[in-house]
Amino acid sequence: MIQGRPGSSPGRPRRPVPDCESDPMTIAAKGKGAPVKTAPLLRYRLDLKASPYLYIAPFFALFAVFGIFPLAYTAWVSTHEWSLLSDERVFVGFGNYETLLTDPYFWNALGNTLSILLLATVPQLFAALFLAHLLTTRLRGQTFWRMGMLLPNVASVVAVAVIFSTMFGRDFGLINWVLESLGAGRIDWQTGKASSHVAIAVMIAWKWTGYNALIYLAAMQAVPREVYEAAHLDGASRLQQLFSVTVPMIRPTIVFTVIVSTIYGLQIFAEPQLFGGGGTNGITGGASRQFQTLTLYLYEHGFNRGFQFGYASAVAWTMFAVIVIVALLNYVFIRRIRSS
Amino acid sequence: MKTSRPSRAALAVVAAAALVAGSAAACSGEDDGTITLSVGLFGDFGFGPLYEEYSKLNPEIKFEERIAEFSDHHTNLTTHLATGSGAADIEAVEVGFVSQYTAQPDRFHNLLDLGADELEGQWLDWKWQQALSADGESLIGLGTDVGGMAMCYRTDLFEAAGLPTERDAVSALWAESWDDYVAVGHQYAEATDGAYFFESSGNMFRAMVEQAPEGVYDRDNELIVESNPAISEAWDLSVEAIEAGMSNRLGAWTPEWNAGFNEGTFATIICPAWMTSYIETNAPDASGLWDIATVPGGAGNMGGSHLVLPEQGDHPEEAYAFIEWLTAPEQQLKVFEATGNFPSTPSLYEDEALTGLTKAYFNEAPVGEIFTAAAQAVQPQYQGPLQGDVLATIGQGLGRIEDGSQTPEEAWAQVLNDLESFK
Amino acid sequence: MTSQDLAPTPVEPPADSRRSGRTALPGRPDRRARARMRALREQPGRLAYLTLVAVLFFSGFPIYYSVVVASRDNSALASIPPPVVPGANLIENVQRVFDTVPFGAALVNSLIVSGIVTVSVVFFSTLAGFAFAKLQFKGTKVLLLGVIATMMVPMQLGVIPLYMLMIELEWTDTLWAVIAPALVSAFGVFFMTQYLRGAMPGSLIESARMDGASTFRIFWQIVMPAARPAAVVLGVLTFLNSWNDYFWPLIVLSSPDTYTVQVALSTLSGGYVTDQSLVLTGTALATLPLLAVFALLGKYMISGIMQGAVKG
Repeated sequence: MIQGRPGSSPGRPRRPVPDCESDPMTIAAKGKGAPVKTAPLLRYRLDLKASPYLYIAPFFALFAVFGIFPLAYTAWVSTHEWSLLSDERVFVGFGNYETLLTDPYFWNALGNTLSILLLATVPQLFAALFLAHLLTTRLRGQTFWRMGMLLPNVASVVAVAVIFSTMFGRDFGLINWVLESLGAGRIDWQTGKASSHVAIAVMIAWKWTGYNALIYLAAMQAVPREVYEAAHLDGASRLQQLFSVTVPMIRPTIVFTVIVSTIYGLQIFAEPQLFGGGGTNGITGGASRQFQTLTLYLYEHGFNRGFQFGYASAVAWTMFAVIVIVALLNYVFIRRIRSS
Repeated sequence: MKTSRPSRAALAVVAAAALVAGSAAACSGEDDGTITLSVGLFGDFGFGPLYEEYSKLNPEIKFEERIAEFSDHHTNLTTHLATGSGAADIEAVEVGFVSQYTAQPDRFHNLLDLGADELEGQWLDWKWQQALSADGESLIGLGTDVGGMAMCYRTDLFEAAGLPTERDAVSALWAESWDDYVAVGHQYAEATDGAYFFESSGNMFRAMVEQAPEGVYDRDNELIVESNPAISEAWDLSVEAIEAGMSNRLGAWTPEWNAGFNEGTFATIICPAWMTSYIETNAPDASGLWDIATVPGGAGNMGGSHLVLPEQGDHPEEAYAFIEWLTAPEQQLKVFEATGNFPSTPSLYEDEALTGLTKAYFNEAPVGEIFTAAAQAVQPQYQGPLQGDVLATIGQGLGRIEDGSQTPEEAWAQVLNDLESFK
Repeated sequence: MTSQDLAPTPVEPPADSRRSGRTALPGRPDRRARARMRALREQPGRLAYLTLVAVLFFSGFPIYYSVVVASRDNSALASIPPPVVPGANLIENVQRVFDTVPFGAALVNSLIVSGIVTVSVVFFSTLAGFAFAKLQFKGTKVLLLGVIATMMVPMQLGVIPLYMLMIELEWTDTLWAVIAPALVSAFGVFFMTQYLRGAMPGSLIESARMDGASTFRIFWQIVMPAARPAAVVLGVLTFLNSWNDYFWPLIVLSSPDTYTVQVALSTLSGGYVTDQSLVLTGTALATLPLLAVFALLGKYMISGIMQGAVKG
């Protein structure tokens, strides 16, 4: 499972060929007692130059076929008025984009998406960091705790939806029941803008906190113990160690999780849709569109009302632009933190 | 594919490139002369035994059933129709989607050419017309079941509110019109200090519109939401009911909605034939508490399906022969007996097996009689291409009034504004 | 850092590569050093356990609750107080699921798809991640940005052209249609790149090069073992995602003998109405194999992570 089979890889081992004596140019082996390598310099150079491209080639080759083609195609489609329900297509240039940018519902969806993103991602990443930190301690039953983190990921979306919409129910929901027992009033989670965003953020955080914790954990395990030793000698507490030692050491991984959470967070779809009850309210994110996200907006036009493939493609490309901008902002922000 | 695709060449290049990686072949072999018809449904239609029966009569025909979830099924079907591949030989289409497909009759085999032209009288007139293209030249599907409407009500809640509980007396309360129904709602609210009379206003609005001679589209596929008096009447009455606090604001199929049947949080709900079995299985504790009266305004339909033959299917004759047999009264009766899906062929409406049906759960209510009358009284109404979406958009407007986020005027203005993008 | 932690691994003959991955890890510290480090890793306090128990409760409860619901009828979902123990309908529901869904075949299909996808994603991601993180070549930055950018495109819409492509390839209704687009993942490449950046000392590679090791040998004998903790995590995550994938398989797989588990579960839905307890029973059953994979991989996961811990 872990080790790929070498035979299946296009990057076949380019071993130095020891018996190739005809080539006078050989690398001088420097290691004492190490087997003398007599690889031809040319081959060595080729290996050095070509290998990296060979190694990234499978990704780009497969992506070119199954990723880029569909994308390029939708870019072309986005300049047309094109419904899946009819065979007519009319070229409209940037007309779809114009309509889109002047549609208040698009901006509404953008605002909702960013709001849910913030609510879900920030607490989730901090919690994950903290959890991963806990998991590096000498726990009894480590396997158990670590596997436990992934439990929410095992559940299928359908199960999550049914359970959470039950728990957030207005009249009979577990959460309102608890709130009422505590003397606080009931909350109509779905109707309010803020409350619906919180509920959806909880669903997202529930599912992905443990996942991110495991990613952090893997990175933390690679931090050399000696660094901690030094910090320990300096008298840093566990929590101080987390922020002064661990976080800087696993920064690449943190950058990774922030960017990935942002990218995927901007594409949230299943949670709000199912929270809305699956039907029309699911697609529009409530009667007032109070929790319609960008992807739901895309879905509303592309796979529901009229199946407007052209318009929805324009939405997809606009979304892409939005995600790029947000990810860039994010990156700049993280760099700022690093330099300060 | 009939569609012109400028990108076909590009597609072929990419495809060829990908083929270098390897290829896999998948074919449904028909080497022994048998034909396998695929049937795409949403949920179990109870066709299982009928496939067997048909295969016995026609040994060369075999079946493969493909079931998907309701909305997935229709989304997939649209995708497969648009791309010209992947649809089953026979597909089920729910009434909410059928008008969207009759607007593109080229994508289906015209059943009038396959022999259906001689069978028109077999179905309820309105059921037949639902599957007819706007120009009346092509028929894309044959009707299976219909969802004649009735009104389910809680006898215990009615009694507590001092209302009659016997079903004929209840039917009489609102026999004349929906105005009477809302009047009873006022009475109920007063007697119970504001308990909910129905589960959501969207359903009520929809039922009223379904009963009108014209709905949201005219025959030229123009939206007439703004000009149709039936719609503004239905809207105003719904608003009146909302403002009186009659709606429990429950979305269909949500857990809260489910609970409402058992807990009795609302007193009435519009129920088509298929919903009675749902209430029965989901509110077992409320047995004997629900009863069935007639719906105000006399009739109306909610739900029901057609079987269509996508043009991409390779066996139109065989598929047609099968669905003609399957939707014949004889078979519809068998389906009804197995599943409770109500037949769309009026010749059965004199059949004692149908009309004599009662349901113990609903105090032995004569459901056969009630739903037969409801189905017969439905008037055909023209359904435009985005019928379901238009009604849903209006329903959301009512939803915004219900949850207090908009005044009725604001909600109506937004509905009209939203509908602009449907044109 | 102690010098032994950075000592380069002698490049062993390929025949031994399999074992070397496990035993001859770079910089395996001696026993004393390990003991010292262990002492350094603090004993968790009661609060730590309490926190973990709470977290586990919140992660596990909804799952448990879905089993509770699966064992009752729809009405139970909303009774007050909510039901907390399974009801009596479980066996009956399980029976109904097996009667309705060709579960065995779907399970095999899902295992094939998720298995191939996982192996492929882990392998190609590590390979590309190694190149991006540790090898110098022109265009590194731009290409890596390209990888990240591919994650930013909402794929919902790509399904229609992708479907058209599959028609052209004649792959519709075959498992290939589900496997092929998932063989590589931008997420995986980015993940591995970032991980290896932090976890692989560059000096290790340099000294292996000095010894004349080819790039692939470095990858196979040094990078792969070092990448293990991340590889296991990536593998588990990929398997999970692939197993629960639904949107695309549903469109492209139409005949029942190609159904994956999630697609097969779709057949559980009722006509006009849905029996949610039946659907939840189905989903619960579909997660059982996942839990089995978990239990199996759990050990590897820990040992993988531990091996990572040793390296420095």
